[in-house]
Amino acid sequence: MTKSDSYEMFVEMDNVDGDVKIKKKKKMKKKEKLESMKKEMDIDDHEITLEELEMRYSTSITKGLSSTFAQEVLERDGPNELKPPKGTPEYVKFARQLAGGLQCLMWVAAVICFIAFGIEISKGEISGYDDLYLAITLIAVVVVTGCFGYYQEFKSTNIIASFKNLVPQQALVIRDGQKNQINANLLVVGDLVEIKGGDRVPADIRVITSQGCKVDNSSLTGESEPQTRSPECTHESPLETRNIAFFSTTCLEGVATGVIINTGDRTIIGRIASLASGVGNEKTPIAIEIEHFVDIIAGLAIFFGFTFFVVAMFIGYAFLEAMIFFMAIVVAYVPEGLLATVTVCLSLTAKRLARKNCVVKNLEAVETLGSTSVICSDKTGTLTQNRMTVAHLWFDNMIHAADTTEDQSGQSFDQSSETWRALGRVASLCNRAVFKPNQETVPIPKLSIHELEDPLDLRYLLVMKGAPERILERCSTILIKGQELPLDEQWKEAFQTAYMDLGGLGERVLGFCHIYLNEKEFPRGYTFDTDEMNFTTSGLCFAGLISMIDPPRATVPDAVMKCRTAGIRVVMVTGDHPITARAIAANVGIISEGSETVEDIATRLRIPVEQVKKSDARACVINGGQLKDMTSDELDDALRNHPEMVFARTSPQQKLIIVESCQRLGSIVAVTGDGVNDSPALKKADIGIAMGIAGSDAAKNAADMILLDDNFASIVTGVEQGRLIFDNLKKSIAYTLTKNIPELTPYLIYITVSVPLPLGCITILFIELATDIFPSVSLAYEKAESDIMHLKPRNPRRDRLVNEALAVYSYFQIGAIQSFAGFTDYFTAMAQEGWFPLLCVGLRSQWEDVRLQDLQDSYGQEWTYSQRLYQEYTCYTVFFVSIEVCQIADVLIRKTRRLSAFQQGFFRNKVLVSAIVFQLCLGNLLCYCPGMPNIFNFMPIRVQWWFVPLPYGILIFVYDEIRKLAVRRHPGSWWDQELYY
Amino acid sequence: MAKGDKKNEWKEFFWNPRTREFCGRTASSWGLIFLFYLAFYIFLAGMFILTMYVMLLTLDDNKPTYQDRLATPGLMIRPKGEEMEIIYAKENTESWDTHVQALNSFLSPYNDSVQEQKNYACKPDQYFKQEDSDSVKNNPKRSCQFRRSILEDCSGLTDRYYGYDEGKPCIIIKLNRVIGMLPGKDGQAPSISCAPKIDDTDKMGEVAYFPRNGTFNLMYFPYYGKKAQVNYSQPLVAIKFLNITLNTEINVECKIIANNIPNLNERDKFAGRVSFKLRINSRN
Repeated sequence: MTKSDSYEMFVEMDNVDGDVKIKKKKKMKKKEKLESMKKEMDIDDHEITLEELEMRYSTSITKGLSSTFAQEVLERDGPNELKPPKGTPEYVKFARQLAGGLQCLMWVAAVICFIAFGIEISKGEISGYDDLYLAITLIAVVVVTGCFGYYQEFKSTNIIASFKNLVPQQALVIRDGQKNQINANLLVVGDLVEIKGGDRVPADIRVITSQGCKVDNSSLTGESEPQTRSPECTHESPLETRNIAFFSTTCLEGVATGVIINTGDRTIIGRIASLASGVGNEKTPIAIEIEHFVDIIAGLAIFFGFTFFVVAMFIGYAFLEAMIFFMAIVVAYVPEGLLATVTVCLSLTAKRLARKNCVVKNLEAVETLGSTSVICSDKTGTLTQNRMTVAHLWFDNMIHAADTTEDQSGQSFDQSSETWRALGRVASLCNRAVFKPNQETVPIPKLSIHELEDPLDLRYLLVMKGAPERILERCSTILIKGQELPLDEQWKEAFQTAYMDLGGLGERVLGFCHIYLNEKEFPRGYTFDTDEMNFTTSGLCFAGLISMIDPPRATVPDAVMKCRTAGIRVVMVTGDHPITARAIAANVGIISEGSETVEDIATRLRIPVEQVKKSDARACVINGGQLKDMTSDELDDALRNHPEMVFARTSPQQKLIIVESCQRLGSIVAVTGDGVNDSPALKKADIGIAMGIAGSDAAKNAADMILLDDNFASIVTGVEQGRLIFDNLKKSIAYTLTKNIPELTPYLIYITVSVPLPLGCITILFIELATDIFPSVSLAYEKAESDIMHLKPRNPRRDRLVNEALAVYSYFQIGAIQSFAGFTDYFTAMAQEGWFPLLCVGLRSQWEDVRLQDLQDSYGQEWTYSQRLYQEYTCYTVFFVSIEVCQIADVLIRKTRRLSAFQQGFFRNKVLVSAIVFQLCLGNLLCYCPGMPNIFNFMPIRVQWWFVPLPYGILIFVYDEIRKLAVRRHPGSWWDQELYY
Repeated sequence: MAKGDKKNEWKEFFWNPRTREFCGRTASSWGLIFLFYLAFYIFLAGMFILTMYVMLLTLDDNKPTYQDRLATPGLMIRPKGEEMEIIYAKENTESWDTHVQALNSFLSPYNDSVQEQKNYACKPDQYFKQEDSDSVKNNPKRSCQFRRSILEDCSGLTDRYYGYDEGKPCIIIKLNRVIGMLPGKDGQAPSISCAPKIDDTDKMGEVAYFPRNGTFNLMYFPYYGKKAQVNYSQPLVAIKFLNITLNTEINVECKIIANNIPNLNERDKFAGRVSFKLRINSRN
């Protein structure tokens, strides 16, 4: 889009909507700009005559621009470089990480702690540094998780940098008729530049003169063959025509001069770069899930906190006390360790994937693969081996299939025929030839002449290969079973059929012929001149046809099959020709056997294409030209109606449009690709997968995941791991959420019934951030309960990470049991030390009275404040121990959601076993390490109090086994609906 | 429009007239869930009550199962004053009247008449042990008399104002009750000793202890709990400041001296010791 365009649009918008705020306008402008980027490049610089070109850019095709004018243009257009988009400043990004829903709550809690501590200091009665510790810990948790998130984001942003590597440093420019070497960023539109083999093209240029110039366009279009650049305009599309060379492509050989028609961000590569950096990074499904439930948790925490704040005020507590209650409830209810747990679980899976050659750049992408429902795969290099391989041969009037496997392990054809030897010889002698990709241009058959090895035979052998019909024109005989037979109509027809058949397979067909030159006419030492053609080039003997294809990788058909069983749709999006694309698609199973396109049905039924019902066709091949004319609704329809889709001849913009269309239909889209041209789509996709070996830096930077071995089959592994981690995260979160209830209830009881506080905030933080982290992470090592690769991908709208059943079951059932366990142990510890349950009720104000040094217990004994405080710490510890014991039962039941724990096996997950041992050891250390009472409020409790919560632990386990049994036995029942999470 | 949709969505969620669902559930569905949770929580509460009941059964009525926190009994003074500060002006009756009244009411159960009527005159200088025989509980247990008159000048009997009006105030120190505690080994009775804190060494002046030497007689131990020993009168020690420096703040710390009570608990300022601030203002 040019500057004037954007300006016009801007003006128009102003008129339509005069009073929209400026900010909004800017936003819309940016969006519009992005939209227009998606449209195809529309220039005619390649079609106009050189004179017109000179006029347009006020330049000369011999002398170039004048230096002064060039300077003016430079000032007008800006330097010839890729401008990185204005990003959000780093500190804003970091601040954003610190201001999530939970984080804000924790900030509030920390501030309340500070205020409470400050008030205590100003009153001069420091009863302890608990509040200070608490505040510092809370802030530390927020900052550390923030750093985690920031680091994640930081790693995956630097996209434009990779494009910069593509841009040349220096360029040879002709200004004022003088050749100068200048920095490429000083080039302007209209400059006359010279490129030679090895250079990178310094801008988009219209070629004026060329001598055997060839460029490598693979990074832009995906075509792997060198492309000839010449002054003629050969195609109306600027991407296809030969007289335009693109910025950043490499000139492989030859020399050319040209006039610059576009610089900087207005070049093709510049557009791709701004497209890639401009499309927003989609939020990963797991990020959406986590945000979704973090919001709920934060909401509930505020709700609980506020309710009890009001209740406390109503009961008659002081404002500050009520604030502290609010803070404590927030601390108790918010799962502080959860974000860390999720991150660790994801990175464990990422590590596991890395061992299988999938490097995950963005941690959250690990899960995205699991929920992927559509894979848009590039063809070349991903599905195929990216090397032209002989697929079929036609000789002796038979089509023979060649072995195309990577390691040549397949079946080979019968090689005994005499004709095969002749054909093989021609093919091996002629193999410095270059195949012409554009069949419509006249191919010059390649030929070469060789002496025979047989010393008795002094004849020269002339061999030739080329486009089959051209070769056939020059032949008068055909080699059949070693015999030269005259090439009559019958053979010609056979040739035509074979040629059509092979072409129909999407293969590139070459014809081969040879002739033994007459030794009298061409004795040894004869100088052959290919320019003058001073030798026989007709009446040759046709040897056969060889067709070639870039064959699919061996593992791909199987992987595609697995994707299908896993309910994932594989769509091919390629820059290649429709026929080839279709052939490969059929080969790897993207178009399954028996599937027909609308065109196929039309030819089969012999009816016009328009009469075919679109829904009858399972498969559909759409090429870039058709796609250009389709509206987005039509594209959506096509994607909806045809389960098997192939897109051919697509441009980078179109790839992006296809991805967007899939996303509109509610799919989670994975895109695989390797070229620069794939980078916008990779970025837009929910998960972009770049090829590690063939992939360009731009693609790798835009992607979330890199396949080190370029193997499509690795994606299937990724899907499996992604699904597994989703299930396991569910278990982990269920485990983590459960204990929030036994952490919360002590406060609720404390506020409403006024018992001495059963569980302190610091102890809660120890549960959240120390003892329970390892077990919740260990659930990530749990094996799958069923064959997850036979299930459909999850529906992102329905199958949530945290659903109602999970929360309700964790909170109101298991959490409730744990609370009862805690209170049983609490009351036991209190009663055994002399405070009977009924005395505890309403005791709070006396219990916490610092001046009261002789409070009587149930036996008439008198306690000092400090003695009561240590008793309170004992209660904290006892409650802590109860939660730990119940959490061990909890982690055991969370191993499975449906299967019995006995079916899953208790010891198969070694990490989980060691996590339980670790949890117990840490619990014991906290309880019995000297000094703990005064630092962290843990008391060395009596051993028997460890066993009080045990019945509740057993209850949890037994109850959950009953639940799972009922869920297994009665699928779809009320029980299943309400209690299966 | 989107806003309206969302509003409708919420409305629909709250009450969906088509499916007759309230908050995503029909009445019968809510009923079922309610019944389920009712049963669930009744079961849980039952289990809780059962375990609590079993636990309470194991408790002894007369002796706590554990006394982990009570190794060192607390000390406390009467009158308590404000935040352990006794500050008054000698000439200003109102400023010390509250202290006198606090002492009066504190000491009223120790009136000689009450003690003689309710309690037993035990043999002094030895523990008054009343062991239970194996099966028969020796309840209720008798308590020893602690007659107010033992406190002599600080009893409030001879000096109605406990010396407050003269600038020679009495402070009564009591030892927290702990069941089964036998302070003092080898027949040596525990005693109270008061000393000024470092800065105030010469300001405190002389102190008189009542009973003599500030001892708690051994016969008041052990304590058998408020159920078995209803009328237990815990022993007291009174101290009288005889010539305290007026118009200055004096920090006094009283400790129990007993050979089997550790009184060096850094954290607990009231275990085996008590500190208070004393300031008597006077115009002359």
